[in-house]
Amino acid sequence: MRIPRDERSDERALVRGAQRGSASDLEALFRLHWPRAHRAAFLVVHDTAAAEDIAQESFLAAIRALDRFDRRRPFGPWLHRIVVNRAIDWTRARQLRAEAELGDSLPASEQTPPLDGTLLSAMAELGPEQRAVVVLRHLLGYTPGEIAQLLALPRGTVNSRLRRGLDALKEKV
Amino acid sequence: MRRELDWIEIPGEHEARERAWTVVSAAFAEREPTTPKRSWKPFAALAAALAVVAGLASPPGNAVFDDIREAVGVEKAQPALFSLPAPGRLLVTSAAGPWVVQRDGSRRLLGSYAGATWSPYGRFVLASRRNELVAMEPAGRTRWSLARARLGATDWGGTPVDTRIAYAHGDRINVIGGDGRGDRFLLSAPDVPKAPIAWAPRSVRLLAHSNQGILRLLDVAAGGDEIWSVRVAQPFALFWTSDGERLVAVSRNTLTVLDARGQLIFRHELAGRAASAAVNPRTHTIAVGLRVRGTDRSEVFTFSLDRKSAAQQRLFGGVGTFGDLAWSPNGRWLLVAWKDADQWVFVRSHRTPRIDAVANVSDQFGGTFPRIEGWCCAG
Repeated sequence: MRIPRDERSDERALVRGAQRGSASDLEALFRLHWPRAHRAAFLVVHDTAAAEDIAQESFLAAIRALDRFDRRRPFGPWLHRIVVNRAIDWTRARQLRAEAELGDSLPASEQTPPLDGTLLSAMAELGPEQRAVVVLRHLLGYTPGEIAQLLALPRGTVNSRLRRGLDALKEKV
Repeated sequence: MRRELDWIEIPGEHEARERAWTVVSAAFAEREPTTPKRSWKPFAALAAALAVVAGLASPPGNAVFDDIREAVGVEKAQPALFSLPAPGRLLVTSAAGPWVVQRDGSRRLLGSYAGATWSPYGRFVLASRRNELVAMEPAGRTRWSLARARLGATDWGGTPVDTRIAYAHGDRINVIGGDGRGDRFLLSAPDVPKAPIAWAPRSVRLLAHSNQGILRLLDVAAGGDEIWSVRVAQPFALFWTSDGERLVAVSRNTLTVLDARGQLIFRHELAGRAASAAVNPRTHTIAVGLRVRGTDRSEVFTFSLDRKSAAQQRLFGGVGTFGDLAWSPNGRWLLVAWKDADQWVFVRSHRTPRIDAVANVSDQFGGTFPRIEGWCCAG
């Protein structure tokens, strides 16, 4: 993912400000990164409430680790790694777990949209790992090498997941 | 493809962002910036310590609910409160006095007081003992105090820049500014010390008060003039929804839900004896802890405050007696104080159900099971 030099410098200033306790710099960072983080989470989990939680918890995790953050590195990839890994974990857990029921009629996730015949529906049929690499590559703009680093995967694995994911999407859309 | 991914609609995207910003900014406000450590050694030590803690703490809250129902206490409870599951700070009172519990589980005893309440934005605590009212910072520094005989119910309301405290003493209710100035008499009536009082949200003018089965909305700015009154089963608690559109009177057997003009929305007869209640700060929903009639069980139900026909939902149940309830400031977690189990049970109601329980609560608050006064905003 290529970040223009000016943007990188602005972002560093915001991170530095937030580390020093500036709420306005934190807000600017939040406004800058929330839309992509939230969208990435949603495209992996396909659940609006879970996406909100995942993106929110990722920002909270980032705040907790802010003092240790190396300002020479860009903030976005750091946050995106947290978001995407949490989204993958959440989706795996949902698939594997028979969820315990609390009470009689807890509401299901609110506002989760019905899937239609478009790209979103097609993505829902991919596995979470495939969805994650598609989102990282085509929504967030990372190269396969960068995705491999973010997800701690061999580059060949990233390439094959991307290829298979895109093939499946082409068939359905 | 990027454009198509960007165009996929996420329902409630804007609202989600604003909710998240509220939570994130609150967490940031509570954070204390520290100087980054250069040496790896402290981190290694911290990691080792966390690993030990994680081992002790895992895995809470994953028990099947039906199993929990038949035992006194959640089986897989953490041995101590390591953290709160949502942002905000808890205010609780044990026999030792009020304690402020931070998100990371750290606790501070504020002194030898019998009760406490948050200021409306969580910046201060109002503590009381039999003959003294004290406003202090959550770190314990006293701002002002006032000597009054036979203190009873208190409530602190208002806006970020102007607040008022209503307090009962003897058979009187007074109102004083949040800065400790301008104390003045409002009304006198029988049974006042036990009667609940509740400021309307973001108001220094509208105060709800109920005694002897009459619920009144008073105009404090007009010296306590009655705006309206309604006959109700005498409540032990009054709650406003955070938007000020609903006022709920909770008696032992009945929920009475009114709108802000005093019009009855509905009245609901409870299936058990209510012990505690809490209104969700984000929705028109109330959680009520009931002792189920003819059994040794307690249950927590949630009710919509918009219509009686909405199904009540059972959130949690167990053997024995439940104490206070408190919603997290983001409205996603409900804290249930399970006195007979000496546990706090955090129940997530927001999406995938989840339970996180904490055992040995009394030991952590000086040896007695604490009363929960509130789970408040970051301030």
